[in-house]
Amino acid sequence: MKENRIGVYICHCGGNISDYVDVNKVKEAVENDEGIALSKTTIFACADSNQKEMVEDIKEQNLSGVVVASCSPKLHLLTFRSVSERAGLNKYNYVHANIREQVSWAHSDDKIGATEKAIQIVKAAIAKVKLAEPLEPITVPTVNAVAVIGAGIAGMRAAIELADAGSNVILLEREFFIGGRIAQFDNLCVSNETGKELITRLYNEVMSHENVTLYTGAELVETSGSVGDFKIKIKVTPRYINSHCAKGELQKAIDVCPVKVPDEFNFNITDRKAIYHNYPSEYPQLPVIDMKNCTRCGECEKVCSSIDFSQKEKIIESNVGSILVATGFDPYEPEVGEFGYKTIENVVTLPQFKRIVHYAKDKLLYKGKLVRNIAYIYCVGSRQLDGENKYCSRYCCTSNIYAAITAKKQFGNINNFHFNRGIRTYGKQELLYDESSRMGDIYLQSFEDLPPTVESVNGKTVVKINDYLTGGKELEVEADLVVLVTGMVPRKDNSIEKLLKIPKGRDKFFNEIHMKLRPVETVIDGVTIAGACQGPKNIMESMNSALAAATKSFSLVDSGELAHEPIVAIVNADNCTYCDLCSQACPFDAIQMIEYNGKSIAEINNSTCKGCGMCIPVCPTNALDLTSFTDKEIFSMIDAIANHS
Amino acid sequence: MAKINPDFTKELSKYGAFDPNACYNCGHCTAVCSLSDEQNSFPRKMVRFSVLGLENEIQESLDPWLCYYCGECTATCPREADPGELMMSLRRYLTVKYDWTGLSGLLYRYIGVTLSAFILLALIVVGVGASLNFDLHKIMQYGHLFEMFAIGTVFLLILCPNVLHMWWLTVYKSDAKPKIKNYFKSFSDLIVHMFTQKRALSCDDNKFRWLEHLILVFSYLLLLFTTVFLNWFETNNVLIIFIGYIESIFIFLITFDFVRRRVKKDAEISTHSQPSDWFFVIWLLLMGLTAILVRLAIDFHFIDTFSWLYYLHLIVLVQWALIIVPFGKWTHFLYRSFAIYFQKVINT
Repeated sequence: MKENRIGVYICHCGGNISDYVDVNKVKEAVENDEGIALSKTTIFACADSNQKEMVEDIKEQNLSGVVVASCSPKLHLLTFRSVSERAGLNKYNYVHANIREQVSWAHSDDKIGATEKAIQIVKAAIAKVKLAEPLEPITVPTVNAVAVIGAGIAGMRAAIELADAGSNVILLEREFFIGGRIAQFDNLCVSNETGKELITRLYNEVMSHENVTLYTGAELVETSGSVGDFKIKIKVTPRYINSHCAKGELQKAIDVCPVKVPDEFNFNITDRKAIYHNYPSEYPQLPVIDMKNCTRCGECEKVCSSIDFSQKEKIIESNVGSILVATGFDPYEPEVGEFGYKTIENVVTLPQFKRIVHYAKDKLLYKGKLVRNIAYIYCVGSRQLDGENKYCSRYCCTSNIYAAITAKKQFGNINNFHFNRGIRTYGKQELLYDESSRMGDIYLQSFEDLPPTVESVNGKTVVKINDYLTGGKELEVEADLVVLVTGMVPRKDNSIEKLLKIPKGRDKFFNEIHMKLRPVETVIDGVTIAGACQGPKNIMESMNSALAAATKSFSLVDSGELAHEPIVAIVNADNCTYCDLCSQACPFDAIQMIEYNGKSIAEINNSTCKGCGMCIPVCPTNALDLTSFTDKEIFSMIDAIANHS
Repeated sequence: MAKINPDFTKELSKYGAFDPNACYNCGHCTAVCSLSDEQNSFPRKMVRFSVLGLENEIQESLDPWLCYYCGECTATCPREADPGELMMSLRRYLTVKYDWTGLSGLLYRYIGVTLSAFILLALIVVGVGASLNFDLHKIMQYGHLFEMFAIGTVFLLILCPNVLHMWWLTVYKSDAKPKIKNYFKSFSDLIVHMFTQKRALSCDDNKFRWLEHLILVFSYLLLLFTTVFLNWFETNNVLIIFIGYIESIFIFLITFDFVRRRVKKDAEISTHSQPSDWFFVIWLLLMGLTAILVRLAIDFHFIDTFSWLYYLHLIVLVQWALIIVPFGKWTHFLYRSFAIYFQKVINT
């Protein structure tokens, strides 16, 4: 057995600890214990001067282990590990004892008890450090490739960024056309570029990169492996149309198709054929046959030689080091009867309204009637008092005011009435609010507990409100069109979420690890999130998060190898009978069954195992242990505490 | 339940220089206004009623008359919406709405109509003079008779019904059903405010302006009395002649100062002058000026050579009495004091 030469440092933390814990008494209680080569108190253990002193102590005294009793390990574990490393001591021979959060702050009413507890905790740490083994990080090779899921603006921006940095990118789009929600937008604030122009620009950039491969009609159907080396399977649905064909023929094929279905791209305000593109000049510029609705009547084949029903679904397999998810949002679909939606004829949602304005020529007509008074009801599906959507959808105020201004400018003679709950056109978007009110738009405000009402009275649609800005007076407007300013909700299709096990937040959007400190990472190592799949964002914010996620993913795959914490579960092959309980308990799918010496045992995947310890207590044969937290170490800590008290 | 009418602001813009689209409901105007309290958000409530086009609410409100245009709200407004001028515009609008004949509306909104009316009256005076062969003595007698006749007629046919109309809109139609005795109890307020404009003192800290206005009101009323009932132009009583001089000199000097301010625009109140404001103050000035000149001509015996001076005075007088008093800005003298009176009646 090696000789223990342990250094113990007890920190005052300015007074945070020493005001309640008698640090000298703690020092005295341990300084004469077996194996203690050095014990000190220090005002701030984390201060530069003390760190330097520790490095010298470790070298001069030839210490075999170090304990610092100070704050939470969340704050300074890494600090002191690197102190050990700098002094040539393996960093896993360092043990952290928390006597601030767990002692002085928690027991400020009982100084004697606090000091006793601090002694126990330090003694336990000493017991652990005596048994601590030096460990080396586990390194895994990484594939310098990233799968980006979703070719909307966030996905395309991230793909370009990754490709620029030198990674291979597989860009997957479930739809047959790229651009996501932004393709459905006309002019954008503040650039005045249209959504189509923006995505065309991004698309051209994506296509000009050799190391981006774009798949449309593609879905991720299977993943395995872990950060650095995910194996992915992609299902690609064919378009049933050959590329390289005469444009005129394709238009004829669309014209002759007898099938008519509501066009989801236009939020069902128009119809499309079974062979379609969303709008002319859309990318990729090849139409697609929607097999769900196609009757296989064969009319299109007669006029167009490029139709090819023999095309088959393909499964493509690939390896990537990281997966960047940018699947976007769905617009909130109001419930039937919510502010008259689907029960009163002239009630539409904001996305529908934008398409109506887009398709209107010189007059704004809805169902053949001239529209003059438009009532906009804000926060529909957002900031709900009773519903689940408590959040603000961030983009809708701006988007709606812009649409209202556009309609007014385009058609003239339009009265806009904004039934809002406080306008949130933050930043530069405030200019739009200003423009709208300068144009004579009327703003009426209420709170969530007394929302406006929409009623049909004698064939006229009347919106009523108790206007807070007019002392709560009840006011009404006869509206020719009511626009429900709907917010963002998570995508209905949750296949990606299930496949990758990305956790969701209270708002049901994908959840990052920490809103500020780790804003684009998920708890699934190697899976990053960008854009509105993470929560409501406007275009600029989506772009920012796309760049952040691309950078994060790149940092994981770029160096060719990835270092993991060596704190992982280990299997004692002799004891293991592979009962499968451990793999059921594992939240990270890190345990597989293998054959070893003629019997089935569990094997831990070191690159997926997070060292959480969930598997250890369920093992009936005690065949599992956790490095750095071995049974032996834990028992010795318990003994140390028990012996002292 | 009130219906929003976004077209109303277009109508209101004919009465003044307010920008209804500038307001974003910040409430700065209410914060600085000495008239606003927890119940009444002054002048924001009126701003809001105007923006939303709630005409009934505006017509039933006394608020515009309670504002004396100190200009604090306009000076504080971060959006330069000019709420002070809005209140002024609403007073013009209400003057038109109270007038049962509808003539005020024509005069306020169409400058051409106003000018035509002024010219027409001038021609009538000249025509009547011609029919009397420009016999100065006779015309002076007719002029004096006209004054008495005009005062009675305008008072009975126009001013009384209009004040009654104001009462009907603001008191009778309101939810407050005041007791009859309140009308007697508060009557003293009517008199005090009518003759002193005491309320203005609590609004504006410009005491000099208030004093000028007070002297002007008294001079005007006394000159009216002196010319009509003491027959100033035809009397030989030295004291009466002297008093008449004093009164008309005061009218001339003060109105001259008011015109100067409107030209210089040195305070919020005199920044935005509508035709109705100019007519009011200039005709009052001309009244004072021509009255002095006529009496001077009489006293120094050159009235026969300069008889046109009297015709000029008579033209100004007729225009004043038949246009500005019944249908123009003169009425604010009544509406302001009655507004304070009615409010007291309601709130007692």
